[in-house]
Amino acid sequence: MPTMEKIKLCCAKCGFVIEEYTAEELAAVPRKAKRYQYLKNKSSICPSCLASGRLSDIRVNEESGPVGAPRVAAPASSTAAPVGHEEHAVSPTPMMDAMSQGRFPSHAAELKKTKYPVQMYEQALQKRRTQWGYGGYVSLPGVASGVLVRSSARPEITKGSNFVRIMDPCGNFFSTASMRGLCDIADKYAYGLLHLLSTGGDLELLGIPTENLKPAVEEITNLGFDIGSTGDDYRTSEECIGPAKCDLTLYDTLGLRAAWYKRFLDDVQYPRFPHKIKCKFAGCPNDCVRGCQKADIFLCGVYRDAPQVDQQKVAKWVEAGGDITTVCSRCPGQAMQWESGKGLRIDEDSCMHCMYCSNKVPGVRPGGDRGVAVLVGGKLRGKFGPMLSRVLVPFIKAEGPDYKEVFDCIEKFTEVYDANARKKERVGDFILRIGIDEFYKLSGVEPAPQLLAQPRTNFFCHWEVEEVMDERKR
Amino acid sequence: MPGIGIPSLEASLPPIVKRNYGKWTSHDHIRPGVIKHDAESGEACYTVRAAMPPNARVSTPTMRMLCGLADEFSEGFFRVTQRNSIEFVGVPVGRIEELIARLAGHGFPVGGTNRSLHNMTCCTGYMHCHLAATDPAAIVKAISEMLIKEYETDCLPAGLKISGSGCINNCGEGSCADIGIVGVHRDLPPINAEKLKGCELPLVISVCPVGAIKPKGPGMVEIDPKKCIHCPACSVACAAFAPIGSANGDGVAIVVGGKSSNTGDGPALAKMVIPYLPNNPPHWPEVTEVVRKIVDTWVANAHRDERVGEWINRIGWEKFYQRTGLKMSFKVVDGYDQRSLEYVRSNVRFRW
Repeated sequence: MPTMEKIKLCCAKCGFVIEEYTAEELAAVPRKAKRYQYLKNKSSICPSCLASGRLSDIRVNEESGPVGAPRVAAPASSTAAPVGHEEHAVSPTPMMDAMSQGRFPSHAAELKKTKYPVQMYEQALQKRRTQWGYGGYVSLPGVASGVLVRSSARPEITKGSNFVRIMDPCGNFFSTASMRGLCDIADKYAYGLLHLLSTGGDLELLGIPTENLKPAVEEITNLGFDIGSTGDDYRTSEECIGPAKCDLTLYDTLGLRAAWYKRFLDDVQYPRFPHKIKCKFAGCPNDCVRGCQKADIFLCGVYRDAPQVDQQKVAKWVEAGGDITTVCSRCPGQAMQWESGKGLRIDEDSCMHCMYCSNKVPGVRPGGDRGVAVLVGGKLRGKFGPMLSRVLVPFIKAEGPDYKEVFDCIEKFTEVYDANARKKERVGDFILRIGIDEFYKLSGVEPAPQLLAQPRTNFFCHWEVEEVMDERKR
Repeated sequence: MPGIGIPSLEASLPPIVKRNYGKWTSHDHIRPGVIKHDAESGEACYTVRAAMPPNARVSTPTMRMLCGLADEFSEGFFRVTQRNSIEFVGVPVGRIEELIARLAGHGFPVGGTNRSLHNMTCCTGYMHCHLAATDPAAIVKAISEMLIKEYETDCLPAGLKISGSGCINNCGEGSCADIGIVGVHRDLPPINAEKLKGCELPLVISVCPVGAIKPKGPGMVEIDPKKCIHCPACSVACAAFAPIGSANGDGVAIVVGGKSSNTGDGPALAKMVIPYLPNNPPHWPEVTEVVRKIVDTWVANAHRDERVGEWINRIGWEKFYQRTGLKMSFKVVDGYDQRSLEYVRSNVRFRW
């Protein structure tokens, strides 16, 4: 492999690499050369061991191409303690070292393998308070969302850092080729640290210097990934594993999500709503994506007919020791009855299509009349704290490849939200403020008893004058 | 430049999934951490699930190692689950034990399926957030170490999900989980007059959910300490109200009984049982002790397939406090919530 000369600015005491350049880069890019000179001549504090002093620069010949973030040994001229005493020296990160113990994988150990300024974390643990400062969105020509910055409350350790949000592929499946590509980008431009899956469903690359943002974003998109999901737009949608690996799913969640991106990509990447909107797609009422709790728009697979029972398969399972009694007693509608010889009977009136029997008993499958329910308004904070989402439309047929009916319903809803909500008001707060009855009226959905938890107990219905007059005319 | 959308299905799905897409017939839990899916074609797909570091923070050398394992065992593909586990899909049945041993050698225990402790999710906390009132990643690490037996064996009445959030913004989904650890602030936010000039005052005043921020002369506001509920809404909206929090003011609240599945008693948000515990890095002993108590009591008393929330629904809150030995305080009584949406269903347990 060809080699190239690399110049690394690192801490004189512990060898923590602060910046690294290639020799060509330094010769060709005046801005880099200027920054190199500035850092070299300045007395600074090491983000890893907090020693202050001049940085030392070392030149190494490395194989060109991707390499893992290398930790270099302290140069001979350093003022560090003699090698033999290193064992007894006080660790610069005692808290993180304590956290690296044990059998479970540790984030602290992972952080120490990267260029992340570990003292930001160590100091936070020691002082019991975060050392990061206020953050916001970064504007980059041609990129309307997907790049964030967090400033630092400890500028002597690090000046703050940018990070980009990459929308995860369908089903969160990664090929090793594309993941290695992301690792290369993380090593080249960022700390070399992956936030593999944020709870919102993004992959985050942390610590990209502002001047590197543009090439980093370029390389990410060249790799086939796209960025987005910051600001008041559609956030990255999440779907459950669905038909890729699950036998219970009631519609093609992966296909629906792909179609959703095709139709709404502009709304994902250009903020225009009153507040963020999170979409989640669950294949069945088991709701593995936690959509009922987290999503402003939640599409949940539902079915309307009775569960299909393969009596032979069920009997075989019971014979093999399947605990049918517990399953029958835990059925929330008490709809299941098992008699050996007669088989399993499910009472259609009592069944609430919750999937419990299908989860537990092989041979009980969801029925064939399938579609999606649209629920809106779930959130975990907003103005009025956590709220579960509420049923907007109980049943729509989900038909690919473009899922027009479902997406039209979503679009109609976002128009109502866009036109009526205040700035920075989540969907749940908006519904709460204008009233659920008013909200249904604005949305123009058909009344359905499936919406109800229970009808009202008071009599304070509002009647428009026109409604009453119409009645009289008749 | 952005605008290309997500990678195509063809590019991201492994071959075994492409062959049997939408044609799965049943699933079975072979052993903790290994799930078998059967397809119509008769093909069986074995999935091995391993734990990941808290917050799914993985360095590139570790990731390359995992990629190497995926190349070797699962045709060059892996997936990350909703609860931040890593899954190797389509492992040949004869090589499952080998993969588990290799993963264990690299410090990745296998487990977290069916009736066990699932991998714990959390937010970024002290690692990279200015609002964090606690470090959920460290707490999650401490609890994982404590409950590693529960992670690796199917010994619980039902699945157990524990999540941690650094503040009440709940990015770490504390309110979704069976047991949630949520960071809470107790201090008033500061007001930085200089930075306030850069903010929209009407937005700052309206963003406060309890109207505690009021105008005070031109270009200045004041905070009513009697009204403040220590949500960091103002700190999010305007830099003048950051940084919020202090070493002794911040801490964690414990919530229990969240669940999103429609089985059992249906979806529910977690309810607060302890309003404040102090931050005590690096192992948060007060928090782990409470979690241990709740888990042990649940295991000893719950019926089969009964999640924490359903168990509490059956026995009631008074028995919950009695059996766990926790102390109830008036702080867990909600005087803030005046919503009236009970008339509308929040589940999909329809009757057609």
